[in-house]
This record gives sequence, structure tokens and C-alpha cells, in this order.
Amino acid sequence: MIYGSAGKDHVPGKPVRVTINGRQYRAEEGETVLSVAIREGIPIPHLCHEESLDPYGACRLCFVEAGKHGKREMVTACTLRVAEGLEVTTDTPTVTKHRAILLELYLAEAPKSEVIKEMAARYGVMKTRFLKKMETDDPLGGKCVLCGLCVRACTEIMGAGAIGFINRGPYTEVNTPFLEPSADCYGCGACVKVCPTHAIVMEDSGSERVMKSWSGTRVPLAQCDCCGRYYAPKELAARTLSALDPQLERELAGLCPSCRGKQIAEREILARQGGAGNHA
Amino acid sequence: MDSHALDAIIARYDVPDGRLLGILSEVQEQEGYIPHDVLVMLSEKLGVRLSRLYSLVTFYSFFSLQPVGEHMITVCMGTACHVKGAEMVLSALGKHLGIETGMAQDGKFAVTTEDNKFTVTIARCFGACSMAPVLSVDGNLYGYATPENLPAILAEFGWREHES
Ligand code: SF4
Ligand code: FES
Ligand code: FES
Repeated sequence: MIYGSAGKDHVPGKPVRVTINGRQYRAEEGETVLSVAIREGIPIPHLCHEESLDPYGACRLCFVEAGKHGKREMVTACTLRVAEGLEVTTDTPTVTKHRAILLELYLAEAPKSEVIKEMAARYGVMKTRFLKKMETDDPLGGKCVLCGLCVRACTEIMGAGAIGFINRGPYTEVNTPFLEPSADCYGCGACVKVCPTHAIVMEDSGSERVMKSWSGTRVPLAQCDCCGRYYAPKELAARTLSALDPQLERELAGLCPSCRGKQIAEREILARQGGAGNHA
Repeated sequence: MDSHALDAIIARYDVPDGRLLGILSEVQEQEGYIPHDVLVMLSEKLGVRLSRLYSLVTFYSFFSLQPVGEHMITVCMGTACHVKGAEMVLSALGKHLGIETGMAQDGKFAVTTEDNKFTVTIARCFGACSMAPVLSVDGNLYGYATPENLPAILAEFGWREHES
């Protein structure tokens, strides 16, 4: 399986009740407060959370006040597991104050990010007192907040490990080792998908996918035998197909999703009309 | 370093914890830096992603990705030394050695002279604040450094005024 950690067998936990902002919600033991909030449509800002990855707690934006029996403390909602009788408040004055400062810091870290600007504006933060990170040839266009989601998706979900954190402190960045095109990259685009600030640039050009943010890594694309369209990274398509049963693999190999669909439909129609010789 | 030499180092750290840093430290010590091809070889031997190794190597200031010079000069830029004028010592050092003491390309502060004699890097507090500003050359500590007494220190390591 490609999706290593994502598809773990789900064993339902004990049902519990949590109170968020004075209202009671049902949840499952083991769920995080942030997951419950997202499901119930309660807004808690967050940057480093992704449901298919383990709790990480890097961005600190999801701070809430929580506790039992009146005792309260500030905790990150994405790492806090629900428990019977837990009481959570998502927007106390203390929480809001801390978030505003964090957002001010993020405005300095990712001065070009519209996502951050919008988030900050919601807390009345329009400018930052901190030194803005201004790099002219930043491959992530001044939008990266170093949340780590791309690195984790690449390593933990895809098992590719093409990118990582480089340097430390104010010089920390995300990229490929030696800032060279990566041989480990599948070109799957998982990083692009999880990036909360849309910082990663990926472009398909002809028979290649170019990961512009990752040192110009190029990945060959597979071409559809039927319509000629380039539809997916070659290696990834082969890997995904090999996970299917061999018969299906032989039948579907080389086709893009829409031609695949067409072929299946055609065969189905023929079979119904009694015209297909080899339809099993 | 060849494949056998690397095997010998790996064998000595064949424990789950701390293995990577131990191995990398020894490569750094033996080679004076972490060569690109050795890091790639290590990644293959250990089955650890190159991106992970590269993260470690660029995180710790102990490692260097570029060959370092014969003599290693570390200038303390910790709080006490900073207050006592470490910045001036550093820029004077740069002038004497004819190097730009700006940021190295990999984000770490390490610059080597053209003749490969000296590499200059910075550290954050040696724990010798009482003698601030402090610098070390090849592990020897020098306290109360000033732009004026630098030439005498450098001379101990074969530096001559007219050379730069
Ligand atoms: S590129 Fe995006 S996903 Fe990756 S660390 Fe930066 S903000 Fe997070
Ligand atoms: S989402 Fe909780 S710390 Fe980032
Ligand atoms: S600050 Fe330089 S030795 Fe402590």
C-alpha cells in the first residue's frame, strides 16, 4: 500500500460528551478536540493539522482553553484528546491575544501569503512589528510558514521522503537535499495538496511534471494509450496499478482515468447487449 | 573515504538510538566535513532518506558541508561576547584573512580562506563569558580578544600580515 499511515484500521472509541463553547457534542474517545470542532463546524484556526497524519502541534494557532471541573489551561486543540466532561472554550480573551501575536509572527515569516493575511485580518492584525522575511529567490515565494505538513505528507503518507527541513532557526527552509532535483520525488503532489498557504509550485509541461519549488525536480508523466493525454506520474501510476489485481492491471494499464471509465462503460454496455465475448 | 571505511563506522553505531549523529560525527571528524557523495552513500547503506540526513547535517553547527581549512577559528557570538564587542573582532578577523564574514551559502556561518589555511565560524557561548569576547583556534581558547591582539593570535598559526 502506498498510503502507509493513513488507512489504519479504525477501531471506534468509547462515546464521550464534550462541551465546546457551552454546547455539548458527542465524540469518540481518542478523537482530538480539533477534529470534533472541524466536524461540527466550530472555527478554530489551524495551519499544521491534517486528519490523515498524527497530531503534531507545530503552528500553535489552534490554542484553546480547556479543562475539567473549572480548572483551565491553554492547550493546542489538535493535540488534545477528548474525554468525558471536558470543557473547551475556543475564543477567550487570553486565547485571542496569543493568536494575534502568533499571526503577527506569521505575517513576518510568510509576508507574501494571502491565507495568512486573511487569517490575521480576522484578528485585527493588519501589519507586523517583526522583521519580515524577504528573500528574492525564495522557491516558496515568501509564503511558507514552516508548518511541516509537506515534509510529513511526503515522508509519512507517501513514503518518498524527497523533502526535509534544512538549516535551523531563522534560516530554516523546506527543500530537497543539497537543493538539487530529487530522485526520491514521485511528483504525486501530496505536498501541494496539504500546504495550508499554497506555497508550493508544481507545473505539468508536456511529458513532464516540474516541482518548481523543489529545486526544479522533474518527474516523467505517463501517457494514455487511448487519448494520448499525460495523466499521472509514470512511477506512481505503475505503483498504484501493481496494487490492483493482476487481471485488472493488465486491462487498465496505460489508460488515463477518463479513457478507463469509457472502456469499462463500453464493455458493460456490450455485455448487457450480449455482445461481449470475454466479459467475465 | 571508501565503502569499507564507511562500513567500519556504521558497525560501531549499530544501535537504534543516536546512530545517525554518531556516524555523521565520525565522518565529519575523519574527513573534516561531510562530503556530498559520502552522505549519499550513507543514505543507501542505512536505508535512511537523504532528506533526513541532510536535515541533520544542516541543523547541527558541528557539521560542515564544505571542506574546512587547516585551522578552525570559532568566534563566540553569545550574549556576553556580543556585548563585549565580538562583532568588531569578527569583522577585524575577516579583514586580516581577506574573507567576507557574511553568511555561508548553506545558512551556516563558515567561511574558508582561499589558501585553505583558515576557516572562520561562529558559536553561541563557549561558557567562558568571564573572558568575553572569546574565540577559539583549533580548540585553544583565547579570551579578551580585540581587533588589536588578533594578529598575535593568528601569527601562532602561521598567519603573516603581508599575506592578505
Ligand atoms: S511549504 Fe507549505 S506545507 Fe510545506 S512547510 Fe511550508 S507552509 Fe507548510
Ligand atoms: S493545528 Fe494545532 S498546533 Fe497547528
Ligand atoms: S557569550 Fe561568549 S563565552 Fe559566553
